[in-house]
Amino acid sequence: MTIWATGLSAERSGRTILHSTDVVIRSGERVGLVGASGSGKSTLGHALIDTLQAQGQSVAHVPQSPDEALDPLRSLAFHWAEAERALGMKPDPTRQAELFTALRIEGGNLRKRPWGWSRGMQQRFVIAMALIGAPDLLVMDEPTSALDPIVAAGTMDLLDRYLQDRQTALLLVTHDLGLAARRVSRLMVMEDGRIVEDAPTHQVLSAPETRAAKSLCAHRNWLELPC
Amino acid sequence: MLNVDGVCVKRGGKPTLQGVSMSIAPSRTLAVVGESGAGKSTLIGAILGMIPCAAGTITWNDAPVRRCKPALVMQEPRSAFNPRLCLRRSVMEPLVAQGIAVDAAHLAALCQGLEISADLLDRRPSQVSIGQAQRVGILRALIASPPLVLFDEPLSALDAVTQKHTARLIADLQQNVGFAALIVTHDLGYAAAFADDIAVLRAGRIEELTTAQDFVTAPQSAYGHTLRDAAFALGALEQVA
Repeated sequence: MTIWATGLSAERSGRTILHSTDVVIRSGERVGLVGASGSGKSTLGHALIDTLQAQGQSVAHVPQSPDEALDPLRSLAFHWAEAERALGMKPDPTRQAELFTALRIEGGNLRKRPWGWSRGMQQRFVIAMALIGAPDLLVMDEPTSALDPIVAAGTMDLLDRYLQDRQTALLLVTHDLGLAARRVSRLMVMEDGRIVEDAPTHQVLSAPETRAAKSLCAHRNWLELPC
Repeated sequence: MLNVDGVCVKRGGKPTLQGVSMSIAPSRTLAVVGESGAGKSTLIGAILGMIPCAAGTITWNDAPVRRCKPALVMQEPRSAFNPRLCLRRSVMEPLVAQGIAVDAAHLAALCQGLEISADLLDRRPSQVSIGQAQRVGILRALIASPPLVLFDEPLSALDAVTQKHTARLIADLQQNVGFAALIVTHDLGYAAAFADDIAVLRAGRIEELTTAQDFVTAPQSAYGHTLRDAAFALGALEQVA
């Protein structure tokens, strides 16, 4: 199912931080939303989620840190049941087992509170919760920045494998072009609250057109920085 | 020269550093990488003398390290400053604490090297961007000309472009000033590009200590391999064909 939203915009303190923007994401497509801090990428991500939910489309969000998604005083079993209830679903142990296996958290004790699990496992639990309702679009905001590299790479690999056979589209919101280049087939580059470039990943990397994309490309690789 | 020799640290009865040894010469940079809980920040605390060592010694030119007045650059730049003071007063604190007079030429040279305008220092932490705040944090660390500077995840709060720009400014300043740098980071790309040597810390022990170049091309330990391959998978490092 193609995801589309038109006329997304946002203001803060009377200042436009997201100019009117249209977003179309094909079924199963992997898109990176990249830009510097303050370019408006997280704002666009949130505006997109709100609009799609208002339109009745199925969209799920994975925040930057599991702390934002999990209540430290509630057990993980409570979080899971709450997520199922929010989607109007009955408890489905089969679905839970399938997602936990895919994200390799099947050994985790759900009676524990979030801090009883490692951060990597917490983040995978949050991703599993986001996938309960088989959403058409998964929006991930800087999903690896709160994790160690080994855990982050493992989590992204597991998610890649899970999404591969399904038609779930992925919107990866990140300032890190290096990460996006590895994981998505299309890049939307943001600057000053606008998408200034929208093209296949290889095209943006090989021939960036705008100042923002050129800057991101020039600073993509630590070992090949411009002098 | 910084010498860390056989350092062991215990916290809550548990060993968090076990037999850690390393050295850093002036103008050289050592990056310490490893997962959360490996003991990276404990190492910084031990070098600064904030965390007592159960065994081993930490010296700068054979004297206790605190005598060289090492400086620290913290991870969260804005929370590293007093929010009620203008940045200039916070920057001057190391000079006041050590009873050193302000050297206007030195301050101007550092500000130029860190791309800090004079009016920026008259603002409060909340009135500057996070990248600007971190550059001021580096200015404060260098204002009293310490021979040793410790950086605890100095770039992780910044975006990818600002990270690389700031790393370049630090490296250029180091070349001019000549301080020894210890950088704790989980970003192997940063470590590989800007450090001379890389120490991999795991569960309180040094898993391997090698040159940055050797680490990228041929890590010595299995864990080093895993760490490097994760950096490839995340795009932090580009695979060398």
